[in-house]
Amino acid sequence: MFLHNFLYEIKSSLRVRDLIFWLILFPMILGTFFKIAFGDLYEKQTKVSAIPTAIVETEQNDIFRSVVESVSEGDEPLLKAEFLSEDEALKKLGNGEIKGIIYTGDTITLTVAGDGVEQSVLKLFIEQYMTREKVITDTISGDPSKTQAVIAALSEEINTSDEAKLTEGNLDFYIQYFYNLIAMVAMYGSVTGLHVAMGQQANLSELGARKNCSATPKSVGILASLAGTWVVQSICMIICVSFTAFVLKVDYGDRLPFVYIAAVCGGILGVSFGFFIGSVGKMKQGAKVGICMSVSMALCFLSGLMVGNMKPIMAEKAPWFNNINPAALVTDSISALNLYSGYRVFITKVVTMLVISLIFYVLGLLLVRRRKYASL
Amino acid sequence: MENTVVKIDNLVKRYGELVALDHFSLEIKEGEIFGLLGPNGSGKTTTINCLLSLLSFDKGNIEIFGRKMTPVSYDIKKDIGIIMQNVVVSEELTVRENIDYFCGLYITDKKLRAQYVDEAIKFVGLEDFTKFYPKKLSGGLLRRLNIACGIAHKPKLIILDEPTVAVDPQSRNKILEGIQELNRSGVTIIYTSHYMEEVEQICTRIAIMDKGRKVAEGTKDELKRMIKNTETISIEVLGLGEDILAEMRALPHVYDVKYDEKMLVVSCSGGKHNLIRALDVLQKHEVGFGRVYSELPTLNEVFLEITGKALRDKED
Repeated sequence: MFLHNFLYEIKSSLRVRDLIFWLILFPMILGTFFKIAFGDLYEKQTKVSAIPTAIVETEQNDIFRSVVESVSEGDEPLLKAEFLSEDEALKKLGNGEIKGIIYTGDTITLTVAGDGVEQSVLKLFIEQYMTREKVITDTISGDPSKTQAVIAALSEEINTSDEAKLTEGNLDFYIQYFYNLIAMVAMYGSVTGLHVAMGQQANLSELGARKNCSATPKSVGILASLAGTWVVQSICMIICVSFTAFVLKVDYGDRLPFVYIAAVCGGILGVSFGFFIGSVGKMKQGAKVGICMSVSMALCFLSGLMVGNMKPIMAEKAPWFNNINPAALVTDSISALNLYSGYRVFITKVVTMLVISLIFYVLGLLLVRRRKYASL
Repeated sequence: MENTVVKIDNLVKRYGELVALDHFSLEIKEGEIFGLLGPNGSGKTTTINCLLSLLSFDKGNIEIFGRKMTPVSYDIKKDIGIIMQNVVVSEELTVRENIDYFCGLYITDKKLRAQYVDEAIKFVGLEDFTKFYPKKLSGGLLRRLNIACGIAHKPKLIILDEPTVAVDPQSRNKILEGIQELNRSGVTIIYTSHYMEEVEQICTRIAIMDKGRKVAEGTKDELKRMIKNTETISIEVLGLGEDILAEMRALPHVYDVKYDEKMLVVSCSGGKHNLIRALDVLQKHEVGFGRVYSELPTLNEVFLEITGKALRDKED
């Protein structure tokens, strides 16, 4: 009975056109868009000559100063940085002698005059620094002897030279968008999980009522459907990673198999989230799908799908949230493969995903295990 | 002696203040086509849902095949087929796959299941549509698919909850014939409907429900004997005087006489040859007449007399 339910769950899921579009085609379209939009920008970033930039130190920030100095050196420096007072900097910006002013303080801000590739590169530089800032400060505070290595690695990352890095992974900023794309596909899996929960409950769907009348134990039906959904979701995750890696040529670094693992675990987490939502309350399916999609998109937004520097903002405002945000966990786990040479952070993130999945599944199962209903 | 297949004892189901089933009891014997007749909201579907252990109830006991029915009575459930009020199939599976899927919820042997699925397809006449998806089927064909999904595993008890709602007459007849054929093969049937003609046509025993209560139970003849009216005579006639109407009223077994719009309606309670006696009165007064009808009471009249309202009055 398990195998029968399992196979039919896969068969019917793979025939749902909405699922095929949102879990397979839409990510391909969005990924291609990302590649066109950000890939090109990144390539330009590597080719521009040193960008004249003023640094106005409202407060001393030694790490940032070191990074700026580092990216202003070498054969192909990114910046032609000058440390100026605010008045001088504004004057030079007005004259067009510099392309932007970076203010260092509690937060690092950028002022530019006009649009252009150089201004965009400066913006990317600031975003990338802010994304990595916590990693840098954590590393340095844990082991001050690594200060120069960390700064050098960050500088190299920003400069995209081939010199020593912390890992052999890809530290390009724009790749964050592809991490978020994978997270989005994982979170879309919530809709399939939701269907499993609703399709098993007599008070939420007629199909659920019909199944409850059958000779198949409810637990067998639920587990078979969940297993089938995991398989379908995993296929979608694998397609997403493969398409971006091999068709769009997105460089996930030298640990691609682990990216697949993170993506599949993210998919399981997405399904579990939907299963939990589907199990709670007696709302109609449309309303629950709306909740699932809205929450999923909100979580993806907070992990940086739409706004690249959202994650550092969240890290600053509510650092705990990135540790439980399913979308952020997916991006962080893949990101960790490119940031750290070891697997400790990656494993931590993946285990966190699985633990949260387990919590969602257990809560969902407790809610749908009910045998009889007060009303249908 | 016939075995009891279903026994419902003193069932009470409340939805807050509303009493959906009010001390409802029922016993259905093996081989019966038992009709649950009542208007919408009378408690038919609630009874079925309690019977299937989908709904909790406040009081009472339910036994099927002599065993207490619970949500985990899978050994009982394997012998029950359910055809729900609405069509419950998967839009993503073909006709054959749908039947196979639902059959597989009961039958694990793949070979046996394939044979059962073929038989179910043949039984409902969907041989030409096996590869069709449900959205390509007409309403009548969908209903047939719904039935095939419910009976493919060869249950001993089949519950049909208003299976002919919104079905064209041709498909309706096919469904009713199919139900009778299943019954002839030894299957016990519970059939709920608010279409009295269907219940009258196929059911061997009937319970009439109203407001969660069983108001009458018996064969259709037994039910008809429960009411005063046994025959209604209608005669098309012109210019009847009050003297003739008085003579009609004085006939034996006649309890009501109405004359309106050239139509004389004589209601009788019991007795034989009522029509002959009524026509004799007209001939005696040399009154010519047109069309003549003699009708036995319908279940609707039974319902009307027992509950004080017509069965169809409460339809949605």
